[in-house]
Amino acid sequence: MAPMDRRKFLSRATVAIAAAIGIGWAVPGVAYVLSPAKKKTGEAEWIVLGAADRVDIGTPSLFKAKVTKTSGWVSTEAEVAVYVVTHDGREFRGFSNVCTHLGCRVRWVADQNEFFCPCHNGVFSVDGQVVAGPPPRGLDEFPVKVEDGQIFVSLEA
Amino acid sequence: MSDRVGGWLDERTGWRLVWDGVFLRQVPKVNWAYTLGSATLIVVVNQIITGILLTIYYVPSVQDAYATVDFISHDLTAGWLIRGMHHWGASAMVLLVGLHMVRVIYHGAYKFPREITWLSGVGLLVLTLAFGFTGYLLPWDQKAYWATVVGTRMLEVTPLIGDWALRVARGGDDLSAVTLSRFYGIHVWVLPAILLLLVGLHLYLVVRNGISAPPKKGE
Ligand code: HEM
Ligand code: FES
Repeated sequence: MAPMDRRKFLSRATVAIAAAIGIGWAVPGVAYVLSPAKKKTGEAEWIVLGAADRVDIGTPSLFKAKVTKTSGWVSTEAEVAVYVVTHDGREFRGFSNVCTHLGCRVRWVADQNEFFCPCHNGVFSVDGQVVAGPPPRGLDEFPVKVEDGQIFVSLEA
Repeated sequence: MSDRVGGWLDERTGWRLVWDGVFLRQVPKVNWAYTLGSATLIVVVNQIITGILLTIYYVPSVQDAYATVDFISHDLTAGWLIRGMHHWGASAMVLLVGLHMVRVIYHGAYKFPREITWLSGVGLLVLTLAFGFTGYLLPWDQKAYWATVVGTRMLEVTPLIGDWALRVARGGDDLSAVTLSRFYGIHVWVLPAILLLLVGLHLYLVVRNGISAPPKKGE
């Protein structure tokens, strides 16, 4: 290798140090700007609703729970309401109580054995299917699981 | 830059004149104390980069300020690092500006023809302290709040206009949402604008007048 003169060496060293400092700013800076994008909300988060033995066979029971939603530094409390249905005490399904028509709250009417929406007379079956009225599709379903006698719901799906 | 591109650009912009004027100018034989101004300049650049990054998430309202700072420090990748660089950079800058000024005094470098360099430097010193004072309030935690209560309180002892000066600094009788928002605007817009102008003038004068040689014995 040809010997490098002092001037060349210093000028290269200056460029190298400047580049190192530049990288020192750029790498954390880019990571910092991009990091909110890589946060996945996909992870199923299970929310406790209550005791499974509160659900009578064949009769949807309404459970309410508070959830805190965090977006960035802002946390908001929201109440979720889920109708839990079982036909055998082992398999459980969870339905939203929000009407798929225009978002009113549906209510279980025991003597008709149907969900009823008071706004435009939408009617859903015990398994959330549309029976009558304007709703375009059945009630939204959430994944539900039972562990140690407690019902959990996941609102991600 | 390759010579061809550099030459092409030089024909149209004359950048080599500026480049050589800044980087290939003659300097007297100096010592390490002469690097203090450049060291300050590096910290200034650091404060600008990290400060801009902080404003991406920081929100200057009494509801959000503390929460966003907390979010930056704990939830974002490298947020603690960016904030740390800005925080420690602020202290480093006060220190370096002070040492740089001591060096200029020690060498008597403020004398003719460098009086304006010195005066612009005085402006930069005041700006550096103003940055520190306004920035300290922004996290809106207990320390920030009370430090600013005390800091603004000092204005009150000014003869004649004390009460008025206090109210101007706080934007009212007490520290409030108004104070926070004003300090933020001053910290990220007013002071940087003046800083860039003064740094530009300062560096222009350093290049234009050349750097002073260290005085010899008996000078
Ligand atoms: C943001 C703050 C400042 C920056 C970025 C800055 C930057 C610089 C730089 C890069 C130089 C070249 C020579 C050297 O580094 O010693 C310089 C020279 C000088 N600075 Fe500053 N400076 C700042 C603050 C100050 C302050 C607070 C004073 C004094 C009140 C001051 C007075 C001077 C003078 C008189 C020279 C000429 C020295 C000579 O020719 O030997 N500067 N400054
Ligand atoms: S909102 Fe339920 S039927 Fe219209």
